[in-house]
Amino acid sequence: MIESETTVGADLKITCSKDELVQGLSVVGRALSTRTAIQILSGILLEASGGQVRLAATDMELSVRAVVAAQVEGEGSVVLPGRTLVDIARLLPAAEVTLEHRAAESVVHISSGSASYTLQTFNAEDFPRLPDFAESETFSVARGPLLETITRVARAASRDEARPVLTGVLVQFAGDKLVMAATDSYRLAVKETALGGAAPDLEAIVPSRALQELARIAGDVDEIAVGVQENQVLFAVGDVWLTTRRIDGQFPNYRQLLPESFEHELMVPRAELLDVVRRAHVMIQRATPLQLRFADGEVTVVARTHDVGESRESMPVPFTGEPLEIGFNAEFLRDGLESVDGDDVKFKLISSLRPAVLEGEDDFTYLVMPIRLPG
Amino acid sequence: MAVPGIVAHLDLDAFYAAVEELENPELRTQPLVVGGDPRGRGVVATANYVARRFGIHSAMSCAEALRRCPQAVFVRPRHALYREYSRNVWETVRGIVPTLEQTGADEGYLDVGEVAGDFLAARVIAEAVQTAVRAGTSLTCSLGVAPCKVVAKVASDARKPAGLVVVPPGREALFLAPLAVRRLPGVGPKAEQRLHAGGVETIGALAALGDDELKRVLPGSVGAMLRDRARGIDPRGLDLEVERISISVENTFERDISDRERLHDELRGMAEEVAAALQRRGQVARTVTTKLRYADLSIRSRSTSLESGIDEAATIGDLGCRLLDRGLRDRPGALRLVGVGVSGLADFRQLALDTS
Repeated sequence: MIESETTVGADLKITCSKDELVQGLSVVGRALSTRTAIQILSGILLEASGGQVRLAATDMELSVRAVVAAQVEGEGSVVLPGRTLVDIARLLPAAEVTLEHRAAESVVHISSGSASYTLQTFNAEDFPRLPDFAESETFSVARGPLLETITRVARAASRDEARPVLTGVLVQFAGDKLVMAATDSYRLAVKETALGGAAPDLEAIVPSRALQELARIAGDVDEIAVGVQENQVLFAVGDVWLTTRRIDGQFPNYRQLLPESFEHELMVPRAELLDVVRRAHVMIQRATPLQLRFADGEVTVVARTHDVGESRESMPVPFTGEPLEIGFNAEFLRDGLESVDGDDVKFKLISSLRPAVLEGEDDFTYLVMPIRLPG
Repeated sequence: MAVPGIVAHLDLDAFYAAVEELENPELRTQPLVVGGDPRGRGVVATANYVARRFGIHSAMSCAEALRRCPQAVFVRPRHALYREYSRNVWETVRGIVPTLEQTGADEGYLDVGEVAGDFLAARVIAEAVQTAVRAGTSLTCSLGVAPCKVVAKVASDARKPAGLVVVPPGREALFLAPLAVRRLPGVGPKAEQRLHAGGVETIGALAALGDDELKRVLPGSVGAMLRDRARGIDPRGLDLEVERISISVENTFERDISDRERLHDELRGMAEEVAAALQRRGQVARTVTTKLRYADLSIRSRSTSLESGIDEAATIGDLGCRLLDRGLRDRPGALRLVGVGVSGLADFRQLALDTS
């Protein structure tokens, strides 16, 4: 377990592998604040002791910590401007790098081969205290199911900060089941995944961005440790820690949003439809809708953008009954088709103004709201 | 296409240079050239009237301009800024003459016949346009009022800056006659050369050409068209935009306001009007713009675009207020006017789930 206490006042001095340092910095660099209003949040904390240097960065919503093996000649901690440090480390000429903090001058000397840098430091005491696993209720989850659930659900979350709760993913651990749901109110993605082992019951709204970062850094481990606190969720991927704020508020009752019955349920070859949608998407500018015209035995996908042109492509589908014309945001439809698993997708429709649902072979549901077409 | 009986051509005076002068009043008394690099191959986009006294004019190379006036101030064009001013000018003009064809950022034709019964009334309207543009934007413009486009255009250029020339029906040919042929819209350098070679120097001389002579000097349909124009005959109507591309509401205050809450209230009220207009038309908008005018009359606007269209007053109001705050953060100050508008209009609407 990593200590998050810092020893203030001592002078840090370490020597470590350049590649390992770069790798560690790149991982924690993802959590650097891009807004520079609070200077310390643009910094990376380095803490050296016991043969390793621990790196940390946070933007107060998300934090990432990593550990790099090092020869520690002086124990201590220091905060350095993050972007600059990452850029410097990547370009260092030698296989080894030495960092030496001179607290009295508020600088760190970095040397590697023929290159040397002197970097101004931030005050390590100002660095926020980060959540600790030692203070959390923890359990382990198999990496595969967790990541798969994230990658198929998280992109349906909203990017609009006006409704914070929709920028999050509802994460539910219940028995041996993991459920995630996300909606930006134009689409809704829900996935249930068997964990193959029981986890404690938990429900949290976790920022979609944090989960997507987790998916990015979760390399080749079998299990990911999950820690839960009142306001935070923690993930440990080996010795990389990611913590994220929980979003307050009430997640929409998504079950209520899913229609109970449909007029049409068609099995459509997924890859083929996805290709048709991708080809049509080229013709879409701004939020021009993709028009799907269902008629006996076929669907015609039309994309028409004023001042650009038009595309049109038909494919056979087992549709019967009154023709149905429905408009969709091309990206939303494409996302849905990409997220569904299996060779065939079940396309469920009610009418041109009611939600459509895509389902695959496993327990995944993607609802997409149509675009009302003129006339 | 509408064929008005009374048309005005409006031309902003030295537009880019005038905007630069407004943004930096010290430039007003100096020869000012907006254009490319005088040490490079740039050309003059606009010169202010001080610079014009040195013989500097549009399309001249900046190097030549520098030779003619070594003390001239050269600035690079700031098109985003000019667009803001231009948008404001045309909004102001539309308040008086709603039907118009904008042919450029700084010029356009106005269907004055729609709001004025005769040429006397048309003169009053044209003066009102000049006054409103000056009051609303601190820019001056010149207008020509005539029974057709070509005469109106020549007339707007006849008494710049801040000129107004009215050519009543029946006087078109007389008005044009003494002017050099090059002044007639449609006569380019080539046609001018041919006309000069044929002994035609003035628009009047072109108008007087017989059919055979015309065929010899300027063969083809272009010749007939130009002679018609020289006679003050121009059948072109106003090319009107069929679709409205934006909806906006703005309000000038009696006293400048700096109280943020008041400004937000004003803006939300205007958002209601904008939303109502959208809903009446069954449209949604993807871009919201907030306009701020400061006490010194300078204008700033901020826009934001959304992934899907909206037509709700609350959303437009929220976004508008956020843009206002952003604008005031970038440049604090009391405001004389705020406005909110929407663009990127579409007839289709992304339906949403009820996630409240």
